[in-house]
Amino acid sequence: MPTYDELRPAAAAAWKAVADPPRPLFIVSVNTSSIASGAAETLAALKALSEGGAGFDVMQTGDTGFAWMEPVVQVTRPGGQSVLYGNVTADKAAAFAGAAAKGIARDHLIGVVSGAADGVPALADLDWMKIQTRWIMHNCGVIDPDSIDHYIARGGYGVYMDAVKLDRDELIKVITGSTLRGHSGSFFSTGTKWGFLKGATAEPKYLVCNADEGDPGGWVNRVLMESDPHTILEGMLIGAYATGATYGWIYLRDEYPLSIERMNRAIEQCREKGIFGDNALGTGVKFDAEVVRGAGAYVCGDETGLIASVNDGRGMPKLKPPFPAQSGVLGKPTNVNNVETYASVTALLRVSPETFSTVGTEVNRGTKLFTVSGAVAQTGCLEVPFGTTVNALLTAVGGIAQGRQFKAIQQGGPLSGLLPAAVAGDLPLEPEPFRPLGAGMGGGGIVFVDDTACVVDLNVMTSWFLEAESCARCTTCRIGNQRMVEILGRTSRGEGEAEDVERIKSLAASMQFSNCLHGSLSPTIINHTLQFFREEYDAHALAHRCPAKACAGLIRYRVAGQTAAVAEAAAICPTGAIVQVGGQWQIDDAKCIRCTACRDIAPADIVVEDRYGDTVPLRVIAPAAVARSG
Amino acid sequence: MLDNEVTLEIQHLIREFKPGDGDLLGALHAIQHHYGYVPKMAMRVVAKQLRLSEAKVYGAATFYSEFRLTPPPETLIGWCSGPACRLRGGEHVRQVLEAELGIQVGENTEDNRLGLHLAQCNGTCEHAAQVWVNGKVVGPLSAADAVKLVRGLKEKA
Repeated sequence: MPTYDELRPAAAAAWKAVADPPRPLFIVSVNTSSIASGAAETLAALKALSEGGAGFDVMQTGDTGFAWMEPVVQVTRPGGQSVLYGNVTADKAAAFAGAAAKGIARDHLIGVVSGAADGVPALADLDWMKIQTRWIMHNCGVIDPDSIDHYIARGGYGVYMDAVKLDRDELIKVITGSTLRGHSGSFFSTGTKWGFLKGATAEPKYLVCNADEGDPGGWVNRVLMESDPHTILEGMLIGAYATGATYGWIYLRDEYPLSIERMNRAIEQCREKGIFGDNALGTGVKFDAEVVRGAGAYVCGDETGLIASVNDGRGMPKLKPPFPAQSGVLGKPTNVNNVETYASVTALLRVSPETFSTVGTEVNRGTKLFTVSGAVAQTGCLEVPFGTTVNALLTAVGGIAQGRQFKAIQQGGPLSGLLPAAVAGDLPLEPEPFRPLGAGMGGGGIVFVDDTACVVDLNVMTSWFLEAESCARCTTCRIGNQRMVEILGRTSRGEGEAEDVERIKSLAASMQFSNCLHGSLSPTIINHTLQFFREEYDAHALAHRCPAKACAGLIRYRVAGQTAAVAEAAAICPTGAIVQVGGQWQIDDAKCIRCTACRDIAPADIVVEDRYGDTVPLRVIAPAAVARSG
Repeated sequence: MLDNEVTLEIQHLIREFKPGDGDLLGALHAIQHHYGYVPKMAMRVVAKQLRLSEAKVYGAATFYSEFRLTPPPETLIGWCSGPACRLRGGEHVRQVLEAELGIQVGENTEDNRLGLHLAQCNGTCEHAAQVWVNGKVVGPLSAADAVKLVRGLKEKA
């Protein structure tokens, strides 16, 4: 098997062709987001031009984080000028390529990555980038994720070679001292966890990489897996050395087929290069890994649920103890970290623990990935120092879209909370400030909510999810979430009852006793709703009104203008609810499902009204004044 | 194919999976990848090979939303249930899909040509509100866009 030094010359040569290409090199971001925007077609179009003698070469990369600008293409020209472009769809590829091969193509410009700027903004000067420190994302959108040579040329697996120079206890001490904690949202000290596994006596020992990123609105791990799979595998290999683990299980959700493909390819490459096997790069460490494909179950993101899924098929979380370090996969001592945590180990040792500690906060040094979505101008993935405020992040992504008001954040998936702008805006992004609010920071997903959204509607969505994803072992969670679905559903239909708040509080109190966090944290968002959005909740529950005019049961649609557009609107209506009576268009309210398709066609002619009519002032009736009509 | 031929085919599909090695999900995926769903008979073969009870295999197959025990529709529309989609009109898209197809999310049309599936966020939220047509992201969709999409698919089906 080759030594590390023997792998480097070929790697360096492969990378030189990218960093300093002999002719223009078009680097197309190919990831799940960009494919949805047509990147595969862009790649094919550019390849066809290249093969047709256009005088440039084409390569793929992973994810730059600029989801809102996909398909993203970076063009590096001989001499080192490199420019990032966005919205390069296949239909525009030929015109774009002609311009970008010669100089800066201004139509698609995002920013200049390196070299002559020719009077256009540098990428680093954009608000989107200024806020970022890209250590974990070091290779994201830079290398071809399918090329281990690119990875090695940029220092990859050299981090492992340096790590094994340290004694195992010393290495664990470095990791612990770095303040690195689980980036999944648990924020348990990684070094401490590794120490547990190292101290376990049974053999063999296993590492699990939790890649079951199920929080809706969070895709930080997907960005890493699709852009830089070896950074994750190297973190696991370092963990294997430190803990004595000999095998790894990467539990990867079914919704990420491209991540599965790229992780599997990277594992194969490690075996071919002698990085995985009985003697990793001649260091005497035995380690190999495989991908376990999930099948759609949110609770498998819980480490005991994940382990149960591998062991038993059904991913039902279990009580601790025993802890995974005592009995995990196949009953053997196991350490579970998530994708970003393993990648952070590699990043922290690569930049050095001293440098790592220069950003972030005292208790959370270093950086964290966040994905920003919802009502923002620019959707995507950013890596920022811990302690960056929510407002700063919002500014970096261009603020709330369409000039609307920032109303709330729903961060870290459905178990972490719903916080109003006034509270959330100044929060530093690290776990501690979230806790006194009964909230979690979560694993990186932040969904921004604007003032057109209804919080009761968001609760309806959340309650469906939590009920459907309960493993149903604990009665508190199974029945508690069912009851929440019923109560919130009827509240959104205008059938709320004055006693519901007490019912919700009582349910929430009993759900605390569920075995796993799915059950005990299920009431988080409804708790926040009652705490921070009580007026809006009461408007639904007591006055049977929806201030945002979003809840279908509390609004009605009306034809306000009789133009030709209404006939088109009638044709689009999926239930045939727009009818002509005496030559006038009107809406048959019994048939109308409030899907708003008609308003998409005839926005000036169809209006949404409060079901009592918009002239009735929206006023919350005090609970005492609500008579139960029996 | 005769039953025993199918059995042989299934045995071949899952030949690399071993008892006590965390292979149950892998075996079920291999079967679904080949047949488009997990036939009852395949669960028996898996149980035998992995030395598990049939109940255990059935329990696993029914725990997950992505395993299906009946043949998939020709065109599967996944409706994204995530928050970014919800904030950008995803619930309207669901109402349209259900009304146009006359089925609920989780059901297939009687002729099994079109089906609605509850999809979980895959993080392509810049395309919210979206659906996945046989795995391909389509979006952003307004309610009216969704009507046109489904009518187009119905015509093709």
